[in-house]
Amino acid sequence: MQLSEYTQQPAPVQAPDDVQAPWRRADAEPFVRIENVSKHFGEFVAVDNVSLDIYQSELFCLLGGSGSGKSTLLRMLAGFETPTSGRILIDGVDISAIPAWKRPVNMMFQSYALFPHLSVADNVAFGLKRDGVPRAEVKKRVAEMLDLVQLGHLGRRKPHQLSGGQRQRAALARALIKRPKLLLLDEPLGALDKKLREETQFELINIQENLGVTFMVVTHDQEEAMTLSTRIGVMNQGEIVQVGEPHDLYEYPQNRFVAEFVGSVNLFEGQVTEDETDFVRIHSPEAGSSFFINHGISCAPGQKVWAAVRPEKIRISRDKPEQADNCLEGTIDEVAYMGSLSVFRVLLPGGRQIRVTKPNMARRFDERLNYRDRVWLSWSGDSCVVLTS
Amino acid sequence: MTLKKTLMGAVLGSLVATGAHAQEPVLNIYNWSDYISPEAVSQFEKETGIRVNYDVYDSNEVLEAKLMSGRSGYDLVVPSAFFLERQIQAGIYAEVDRDQLSNYGNLDAQLLQTVSRNDPNNVHGVPYTWGTTGIGYNVDMVRERVGDMPIDSWDLIFKPELAAKVADCGLAVLDSPAEVVALALNYLGLDPNSESKADLDQAEALLASVQPHIKYFHSSQYISDLANGEICVALGYNGDVLQAQDRAASAGQGISVGYSIPREGSLAWFDLMAIPADAPHPEAAHKFINFVLQPEVAAGISNFVYYAVANTEAQPLLNEDVRSNPGVYPSEEVKAKLFAQNAHTAKFDRLLTRAWTRVKTGR
Amino acid sequence: MNSMSQSAPLAVGRRRPSWLRLPGRLIPGRSLVASVPTLWLGLFFLIPFAVVLKISLAETAIAVPPYTSLFEWDGAVAALSLNLGNYQFLFEDSLYLDAYLNSIKVAAISTLITLIIAFPMAYVIARATPGRRVVLLSLVILPFWTSFLLRVYAWMGFLKKNGVVNDVLLSLGLIDQPLTMLQTDFAVYIGIIYTYLPFMILPLYSALEKLDDSLLEAAEDLGCRPLQRFWLVVVPLSLPGIVAGSLLVFIPAVGEFVIPALLGSSDTLMIGRVLWDEFFLNRDWPMASAVATMMLLFLVVPIMLLRNGQGRKEEAA
Repeated sequence: MQLSEYTQQPAPVQAPDDVQAPWRRADAEPFVRIENVSKHFGEFVAVDNVSLDIYQSELFCLLGGSGSGKSTLLRMLAGFETPTSGRILIDGVDISAIPAWKRPVNMMFQSYALFPHLSVADNVAFGLKRDGVPRAEVKKRVAEMLDLVQLGHLGRRKPHQLSGGQRQRAALARALIKRPKLLLLDEPLGALDKKLREETQFELINIQENLGVTFMVVTHDQEEAMTLSTRIGVMNQGEIVQVGEPHDLYEYPQNRFVAEFVGSVNLFEGQVTEDETDFVRIHSPEAGSSFFINHGISCAPGQKVWAAVRPEKIRISRDKPEQADNCLEGTIDEVAYMGSLSVFRVLLPGGRQIRVTKPNMARRFDERLNYRDRVWLSWSGDSCVVLTS
Repeated sequence: MTLKKTLMGAVLGSLVATGAHAQEPVLNIYNWSDYISPEAVSQFEKETGIRVNYDVYDSNEVLEAKLMSGRSGYDLVVPSAFFLERQIQAGIYAEVDRDQLSNYGNLDAQLLQTVSRNDPNNVHGVPYTWGTTGIGYNVDMVRERVGDMPIDSWDLIFKPELAAKVADCGLAVLDSPAEVVALALNYLGLDPNSESKADLDQAEALLASVQPHIKYFHSSQYISDLANGEICVALGYNGDVLQAQDRAASAGQGISVGYSIPREGSLAWFDLMAIPADAPHPEAAHKFINFVLQPEVAAGISNFVYYAVANTEAQPLLNEDVRSNPGVYPSEEVKAKLFAQNAHTAKFDRLLTRAWTRVKTGR
Repeated sequence: MNSMSQSAPLAVGRRRPSWLRLPGRLIPGRSLVASVPTLWLGLFFLIPFAVVLKISLAETAIAVPPYTSLFEWDGAVAALSLNLGNYQFLFEDSLYLDAYLNSIKVAAISTLITLIIAFPMAYVIARATPGRRVVLLSLVILPFWTSFLLRVYAWMGFLKKNGVVNDVLLSLGLIDQPLTMLQTDFAVYIGIIYTYLPFMILPLYSALEKLDDSLLEAAEDLGCRPLQRFWLVVVPLSLPGIVAGSLLVFIPAVGEFVIPALLGSSDTLMIGRVLWDEFFLNRDWPMASAVATMMLLFLVVPIMLLRNGQGRKEEAA
């Protein structure tokens, strides 16, 4: 397979946690710059003053619920919408005034938008033919591209004769064949069933890494975003609320929205009672307890904050742990056995519920915790995050 | 183009028909368009309590096509004599029962004699009106184009040079092959009732030579078009042209319409009331015929439609402008040049209609 | 494009070859449903057509009805006489062929112009907001609330020498002599296009309404200028609507009689008028029937072949 032609950068993209990652280097030149872009539809502000830098060969995810503005941002990149204010640069060129059909950007649509009247090969060839690429070359490149997405044998079929996964790959091939500088993918896995989605996820990453094309994915599915992306931008009500690598977003959410949107979390409202350089103590009336968090934050005593703990960071036991930074007693209110792990809902004496997950390490049943069992919950001081907003 | 009035008639007819109650005595009349005074019908309805459904046609051919289909549903129709003749042969008509016609004696005996050549012994038809075919024209428009020459010759229509002069203001010709071909034959000095193929070919050639100057072939539209200046010359029926004249005068747009029976001679035709053999209401039909034969009614119709009635007793009751109008009642001198038509054989009819289609379509 | 294929993605081979398909009557229930259109077609198309075909093989006569009967029975010998003379005459007299060809020409040109006018209208309606769409669609359908005949008469009023159009043009000083529009081919085209426009708009609209916006965006995204996008995506995808609309206009326009009779001149030669003339003017039922039979063959056979070809192409795909 001849991939070199599609590769824009000789070395494949680095693993996200590599120190070489461009967004961690101060001198790195962003490939796509979104500068103070807003989009208003009448009174409604769909995208509110968004600035974002995306680097070459990144697989960037815009994550957000419906109406968060992520699709509008994507459509402005494609050229289907014009920003009300701000500008967009790709590879140093301001594309705000360039019509969609001239932009070095291609899009893979959520519905795939394959032309039903054309065969798969003609769909893939469509963009090249518009550019006046010689027929022989079109043929060659279409064949290569179909091989790349494993549709080499289905080129003559019509879209309606393909399975969902095949259609997804055909759409990807069609969007990639023009070697766009930026490929936009609108919910690329949304129409696939769960199992197919998992397989396709990795296929998509492989293709992206092989070709080195910069991808920008829009999704509402945080799991999809976590597996796919180098970085994620979380959007809410037209604004980017946090940008970061999947790990950062999950472990160090900067606000309650991100903490709750990415994964699940137990949030406790409280007040700072002690604020030292290497720890803080937060009193939470709803937990009926104080929390010890062994890293400092910039806040003042008495300030209202939230302590966030992920369910899997909490240990659950019948006996009171001998030593723990944080410890609470409660009653199991609900148990959900999910095979690999169990999810517990624990009721604190004050009426507050806490979500805890525990891997099912033992096979025997009698060790399991049951409904109405009195249990102790504990977690260490560094598993907890303090959120000020 | 014979369709227009027929369709309108059908639309109106169906409206009337839906309004009628089933039990009410009904009379279904199928008559020429613009061929009766409206009062006559309403007066008949009032006097007899019979509801009249009144449909119209504008050509003998359409009437015959309807009758030949059988079960037309009409009780009274008004064909021209030479068409009546063929239709009698086809067995379409019932004989008229003169015992039910107390006013039959009002009819002009001489005229009955004339139509008996088509309807032997006058057993199937009762004369309604009679008239001539001639030239109706817009006096000013034609003067402007042909100068001061008298409009008394078929040259105006059958001579291409003259027809060309009036083409721009609109020349209309009856869509009636039998009559127009007969006139063409007469103009060529041939027997208007000739059934010779060679004669027909000559007539066809003559008509084809003027066809490019003819705006349309239609048997009723020229009435309103002459009246409002849409056309300036029409080969048409005397009464229709005179109705146009009347309408133009009352519209007051300064349009004056003239009628001329050309000196080469022209057709005289006779329309007769007849009752189809399968008429559902023959008694009502007889009542209507007898009603029309009343002098007052006949005069009223003649005054309105500008056609001559064959009713001796009605003559004194006619309006002066009708009685003394040479277009309605021509002088003896002109009458002498009029000729009547015989029924055609089916074989000639077919040749005739083919020739007519070729003429009309300019092929 | 169709939602059915979503649930059954591999449609290949789903369609059985025709000789393998079960005849309808073997599947209970279905035969009942199928029998309704069959019965309808039989009662209102095949039987009348058989009658017309029968008359076309007779000879004209002065009688009621005005044609000879095909069967003679003199008590001992039954004779069947079929007269093919009418069909022979159809080919001998160039009038008929000219009329057929001219009808097809008039119908084809009208269909094309109707398509050109209807397409943008249908497109605008399909792209309008749902509220406006209802209004626009009812405006398209509204003329049907008045009699077709009245609407054609209204056109006569518009087009005649001292009609509305001439009056307006004269008063604007654009012309100094009234234009002759009535009794011309121009008027016939106006009449046909006006009358049949809704029949073109509605199928086009329903095809364009289904057109997915994302397909247009995809085309744009892949480098189509607006005009290219129209030819490469919009037109091919609305093809079923284009075909349906064109047939709905073309077929009745070929046989159109009322419009050329009222708006056309005597040399607007169309087969519908020839038919009328044969029937009402010539009172030649057998000839009229022969013309009608030939018209059916001229129209129905090519369309059936076309449909058959399309079906086969679909099957092959």
